[in-house]
Amino acid sequence: MMLRLDNLYKRYNGTPAVDGLSLDVRPGEIFGLLGPNGAGKSTTVHLAVGLLQPDQGAVELAGHGSPKSPDVRALIGVAPQALALYDYLTVEENVRFFGRIQRLSGARLAERTRQALEFVGLKDRSGKLVHTLSGGMKRRLNLAVALVHEPALVLLDEPTVGVDPQSRNSIFENILELRRLGRTIVYTTHYMEEAERLCDRVAIMDHGKLLALDTVSGLLEHNAGSPTLVIEIDGRETRIATDDPLAELNRLSETSRVQRFRLERPNLEQVFLNLTGRKLRD
Amino acid sequence: MRVILALACKDLKILCRLKAGLFFTLGWPLLVAVFFGLIFSSGSGSGKLRVALVDEDRTAASQRYSSRLEKQENIEVRATSRDEALSLVRQGKRVAALIIPPGFGQAAERMFYGDPPQIQVWIDPSRKAETAMLEGLLFKLAAEDMQRVFADRSVSTEMVRRALENVEDMPPDNGGEQQQTRRFLQELDIYLNRPTGGETGTPGASWQPLKVESREVTIQRKGPKNSFEVTFPQGVLWGIIGCVMSFGVGIVAERTHGTLPRLQMSTLTQTHLLAGKALACFLAIAAIEIVLFLLGRVFFGVRPSSLLLLGLAGFATAVGFVGIMMLASTFGKTEQSVAGVGWAVMMPIAMLGGGMMPLFIMPGWMVAASNYSPAKWAILALEGALWRGFTLQEMLLPCGVLLLIGSLCFALGTRILRLVR
Repeated sequence: MMLRLDNLYKRYNGTPAVDGLSLDVRPGEIFGLLGPNGAGKSTTVHLAVGLLQPDQGAVELAGHGSPKSPDVRALIGVAPQALALYDYLTVEENVRFFGRIQRLSGARLAERTRQALEFVGLKDRSGKLVHTLSGGMKRRLNLAVALVHEPALVLLDEPTVGVDPQSRNSIFENILELRRLGRTIVYTTHYMEEAERLCDRVAIMDHGKLLALDTVSGLLEHNAGSPTLVIEIDGRETRIATDDPLAELNRLSETSRVQRFRLERPNLEQVFLNLTGRKLRD
Repeated sequence: MRVILALACKDLKILCRLKAGLFFTLGWPLLVAVFFGLIFSSGSGSGKLRVALVDEDRTAASQRYSSRLEKQENIEVRATSRDEALSLVRQGKRVAALIIPPGFGQAAERMFYGDPPQIQVWIDPSRKAETAMLEGLLFKLAAEDMQRVFADRSVSTEMVRRALENVEDMPPDNGGEQQQTRRFLQELDIYLNRPTGGETGTPGASWQPLKVESREVTIQRKGPKNSFEVTFPQGVLWGIIGCVMSFGVGIVAERTHGTLPRLQMSTLTQTHLLAGKALACFLAIAAIEIVLFLLGRVFFGVRPSSLLLLGLAGFATAVGFVGIMMLASTFGKTEQSVAGVGWAVMMPIAMLGGGMMPLFIMPGWMVAASNYSPAKWAILALEGALWRGFTLQEMLLPCGVLLLIGSLCFALGTRILRLVR
């Protein structure tokens, strides 16, 4: 276990933001926190890193204790949803500054700064002031700052919001590379495609509660229902949920002239719909 | 301490890169100090009387007089023509025009009869105090000239003999003036040419109208040497206020831009964060004080009566306003609201405290009200070390008030900031 959240509660003005959340994050996995905006994902991240104190419950990091301690926080790297960078420092100065406050210094700081910038592909922009960068580059720098001190646990809060497809792919590659390097990653998102593509296990949250937690295939198997066969007969489209779409298609072809068909496999959107009665982006 | 320094360096670096912030912390204060200094001194920063001189006599006597005038320390002479001299006075570029008219040299050779040598002084009527000073200076030169004549036996003998010749040419009068003058000059000639012995050779050298014996004492300066000694503390105050606002807004910007939570999620404690901000603000204020007073020293004749006391005043002022900065950062939740409320509060504080109009020309009720402005105590402390000639004991009051204000505001500000978190 790398991170344990035990029965966490957090309320803002009486409204629950996190409501009895318990989960374990295993070492070396990419753990997804999936839910719509306002589901409590960012609050969970803030509780996990000690920025917020829970009203009830406990957070523990890899046997080191609570992140209230600065020594424990030194094991964590966070890329917040808001671009938390200094616009009037250069790319390199930002990374160096955050490295310094994470207790790096001297040659080690210089080396880690260089490596972090190379990792996210911003080495050639190191002298640019941050306010001159594109949104995608700022996101990559946000990630570099989180990684400069080589944390064991990386918390990425919606790391692809507002970025171009090229930067998004670059960030995905970075995250998969981090897993190969043995880092543990908690990845919050409201994009089900990202969770499906990247995450080993996904926790689905809504209104601060944990609705389901499993591997992507496990969630689909247990919560998504059957695949949907969509056929067009005499210009009319019909949707049929079935566990054996091939047999169903054969049966229909015998009695009608099927002009077109397609198969819609269940996804995490469907899982969320089945669990809450709402779409993920509602 | 290393992380606190890193935080402070980061803030100072950002301050230097924000042109508007840099202008209000360094450019604007310098403008205030120089601009008002020039206004109060009417364009003369050197403290010298600036006069135009026209020599229309062109004799050895007039040239000797001009030359001695130019050598005076507290006067700046520009030799020119009559028209240009009067024009310079009209334009306010010179306090007065001194015109040595024809006949000056001839009159200077007559000492006891006829019209005395004349100098015409054309003045700017709005600067009567300086004109009076100038007249005093001209009389002093004339008296020195008279003393010089009597100090040299050959010159004085020659002058008396020439005067005797002229007396013979005077028209006879009923009152016996010619006879009296002749008798006086003859007696004077005998006196000047009496045999002398020993060390007291020249008769004139042993006689003086007044002997002044000067002794140096340490005096307490009770007024500024020039207007810049008044305006530079004001400029420093405006720089400090610009700095307070920059850092106050900066703390809110850290919160709204998300960098404050990121810092809080790192290994830093709340104490580190507050200490880093306070140190950055303190260093920035100290830098403003040092830069402005250095510029004042080098270019505008601003000289502290005590460097040690100036350091103490600067330290207390910086501590006081660091506390105020911490409180100012809680004036709102956004950068705009903190900037708006902050300036609305700081402007009257600065103006009431003598930031615009010097305290010593304020009406009594306003001086009494200024006791509630930290700006007043900052300016008083800085002036105390510059030209008020404060002793260490006298400096304790303004510095103590500043330290107290700083401590209270810092405690209150950090308390509110912790609650906001």
